[in-house]
Amino acid sequence: MPAIEVQDLQKRYGALRAVDGLSFSVEPGEIFGLLGPNGAGKTSTVEMLVGLRRRDGGTIRVLGSDPDRPSAALRGRIGIQLQQVALFPRLTVIEMARLFASFYPRRLDPAETVARVGLQDKGHTQTKDLSGGQRQRLAIALTMVGDADLVFLDEPTTGLDPQARRSLWDLVLDLKRRGKTILLTTHYMEEAERLCDRVAIVDHGRLIAMGTPRELVDTHFAETAIEFESESLARDDGLRGLAGVSRVHTNGGGAVTLYATNVALAIDELMRYSSRREAPVENLVVRRATLEDVFLQLAGRRMRE
Amino acid sequence: MSFWLLFVADLKSMLRNRMALFWFLVFPVIFILIFGAVFSGSQQPVFAIGFAFASGDPLGSGLSDGLRKLDAFDVHTGTLATELAALRKGERTLVIEIPEGAARRAFGGAKTGIPVYYDKGHEQTSRLLFSVVDEMLMEAERRVSGRPRLLEAQFQPFQTSPLRTIDFILPGILAMALMQLGFFGSFQMVALREQKVLKALGATPLPRLHVLGAEVLVRLLLSLVQLALTIGIGVAVFGLHVTGSWLAVLGVVVLGALTFTSLGYLLTCRARTIDSGQGLVQLVQFPMMFLSGIFFPVGIMPGFLKRVAALLPLTYLGDALRQVMVGMPPEHPLGLCLAILGGWLVVSFALATALWRWE
Repeated sequence: MPAIEVQDLQKRYGALRAVDGLSFSVEPGEIFGLLGPNGAGKTSTVEMLVGLRRRDGGTIRVLGSDPDRPSAALRGRIGIQLQQVALFPRLTVIEMARLFASFYPRRLDPAETVARVGLQDKGHTQTKDLSGGQRQRLAIALTMVGDADLVFLDEPTTGLDPQARRSLWDLVLDLKRRGKTILLTTHYMEEAERLCDRVAIVDHGRLIAMGTPRELVDTHFAETAIEFESESLARDDGLRGLAGVSRVHTNGGGAVTLYATNVALAIDELMRYSSRREAPVENLVVRRATLEDVFLQLAGRRMRE
Repeated sequence: MSFWLLFVADLKSMLRNRMALFWFLVFPVIFILIFGAVFSGSQQPVFAIGFAFASGDPLGSGLSDGLRKLDAFDVHTGTLATELAALRKGERTLVIEIPEGAARRAFGGAKTGIPVYYDKGHEQTSRLLFSVVDEMLMEAERRVSGRPRLLEAQFQPFQTSPLRTIDFILPGILAMALMQLGFFGSFQMVALREQKVLKALGATPLPRLHVLGAEVLVRLLLSLVQLALTIGIGVAVFGLHVTGSWLAVLGVVVLGALTFTSLGYLLTCRARTIDSGQGLVQLVQFPMMFLSGIFFPVGIMPGFLKRVAALLPLTYLGDALRQVMVGMPPEHPLGLCLAILGGWLVVSFALATALWRWE
């Protein structure tokens, strides 16, 4: 039985269809990512899954129950990470862990849990004095301390610096190793690629693609991406005619992405073209296509534009 | 188990919050000390009475000497011209003229007028004294005629100690502190609502009512600390005598704390942010503080303000506390005070429950 099963989920706010016919299922033990830009309907979906918001249509099964008819038993088996840390800003890390453990029927040792997220040295620090990254780690610890089977992480790394983000990823992978099922939302492609076994890409409340990150890239891209910066070439339509280049994307600045079926040929062509135009090319990078490219192709824009 | 831990968490949060401790505990104490110091001087207003009579006049000297024995009167004697000049300058409240030969005429049995001059601008105060003057003249007349007094009022004080201004102020400040605790304590819930914590708790096995319940319990505990502090300061610094039973005092404090806690939650139950909650609370709290007879008796206010004061719960909490703590004579019967407070509690609780928003 899937841990989560969603069929044709609908949520409207007035005329806005925030979630518009979303269907997916999450298998026990996997990390499933809802990937999409802000306003795609990710948070609304999570809130409906944990029973904080009523759906307007469709069916949901979470650990076999309907979250609109929540039971204490169901709430005891799911962990959510929203902004719970704000509950008692003047309690210490270990006091918060003890308090949250007391809410749940099954619980882990609070001190061990705090140590597992790397906050053992901060055990007696009041939560208001923690850094953003430490706060997020505490939030994860609070979802873990109740020994939930299914953990919801809504944008767990938003606002963190790259180092704090990486250390949080390790925590999420650790949860998975302990057999937990995890649903996370993110608008960071790299995060989804690193963590998720499967990803659902959503935009405007609709599913636009689903699969493993590898599958998604392979299905939608036979090409390789060539990125560079050039003020003048970014405004040059001639790039589209280069041999080996299948598509071109430019943004308002000087950044250009060429999608190439034949990388060697495309770079050769690009170099000739740039010297012919006397337009120097800077910061040239060749990379494999990513989920970001998939989103760009399917949604027609970048995730954070 | 989790409720107990929540209670402890709330209590620790409160004890670690220096600002809250200052406002809820230190601030009332400072208030009491300031008011106590301000009113520690002479307790009663002194009225300056001028007597104008020819020196050696038996009636004039008899009356003025008699009045001089009373602390409340500052007695002056002089000619009519000097005394009237003093009245004009505001240095006298009343000037009593004993005309030349008045005593002789009165002893002879003739009706004799004694002119009493007063400032029409201070008619209220002056009228208070008219009966004193009347009484004084009647007493003199009785002595002259030798007629015995048939009906005599016997004033029997039942106060163990005289009531002073601090006795009036101190229970009022405790009432004010209970109001502040109830009103400003409700912002914790607004903060949790603003940060969407209350909403998120809906997805945990913890009943959200436990969060609210633990908070109310901490507030009750703190109101008892306020009680102990005010009484402690009152006894230690101002020699306060608590005349009522401790149980009655405790009961009124708990009723007051619950009423204002409930009112605080009512005022902030729809507030999405601390800022918007604060506006409404201050709109209610500020006038209530000054119109409820906390710092001065409601009796001296004009009629329309009296009618406003008669609606405010703080009026009755202050009145009830004054009665049970120091035995102050009631403005309203104790039963009425408790009934009105209870009414505010029930109505605000029902409204707050009906309008309450967790998110």
